[in-house]
Amino acid sequence: MGTVAIAVAITAGLAAVAGAFGVAIVVRSTLQGITRQPEIRGPLQTVMFIGIPLVEALPIFAIVIAFLLLP
Amino acid sequence: MDSEFLKVDLFGIPWMTLNVPTMIMSTVAMVIVFFVTFFMSRKIQMYPTGAQNALEYLVQFIKNVISSTMEWKQGKNFVMLGITLILYVFVANMLGVPFELATADHEVWWNSPTSNPVLTISLALFVILLTHYYGWKMRGPKEYGKDYFRPVFFLAPFKVVEDFSNTLTLGMRLYANIYAKEVIMVMLVGLGASGAFWAFGAFIPLVVFQAFSVFIGTLQAFIFTMLTMVYMSHKVSEEH
Repeated sequence: MGTVAIAVAITAGLAAVAGAFGVAIVVRSTLQGITRQPEIRGPLQTVMFIGIPLVEALPIFAIVIAFLLLP
Repeated sequence: MDSEFLKVDLFGIPWMTLNVPTMIMSTVAMVIVFFVTFFMSRKIQMYPTGAQNALEYLVQFIKNVISSTMEWKQGKNFVMLGITLILYVFVANMLGVPFELATADHEVWWNSPTSNPVLTISLALFVILLTHYYGWKMRGPKEYGKDYFRPVFFLAPFKVVEDFSNTLTLGMRLYANIYAKEVIMVMLVGLGASGAFWAFGAFIPLVVFQAFSVFIGTLQAFIFTMLTMVYMSHKVSEEH
């Protein structure tokens, strides 16, 4: 029980860190694009909302594995 | 986890297990979506008021989502699909937000049906199958088959893997978000029930987290519809 709990904590924590950094990079690039060319804000937001889920997929798998490990 | 679901084996076959609360909750979501849209669209007028305005705003929103991913010539077929998906996923996500019913021995009877991986992955599977069907129907079998070898021929295995991973991520994303929301809400309620002092301490975080889960549920419904249209445009669009 103790070892599994530590494993779950490490998995969930690393997934949160990885997801936060990945999404931060995507949103930062989108913001830079919008500040350079405000008129293409709509298409950039569409691409951002496609990119965020793609980045988030692997952290979500890590979270699901953490759920599966829970006793 | 602590929560248990009532499970019934269909016809007594061991591997044909039905999750009864999830079936009830998904039926509730369907009934809500059907009756809300049914009664919102009864009195159609030239100059819309009230409910009809809201519905037309939704239709316009879905049209914008579709036209941002593909040509309107193909995209006009998928307006109803988008509205159905976004309403169903939204209502299903919202069902577990205000309260959650469970018996004393942690048998859950009222929660978000999307917190069950089987439901979300089967939803994603049918969406992916639908994209293949429309790709075949709109562009013909030859173009559909050639699409697997499109940029260069040795990418064909990756294209096959992409179909599976799209199904998995589309379903898992919805499931993991909603399930994490439910787990955190059950933990906060359990904390509040453990004593008078903690009941005050857990009340404000619970309200804040409910507001946050409304946001998550709306965003996930939007992302599910958006990605459906993106995958659809990969199969349906003429050129890449």
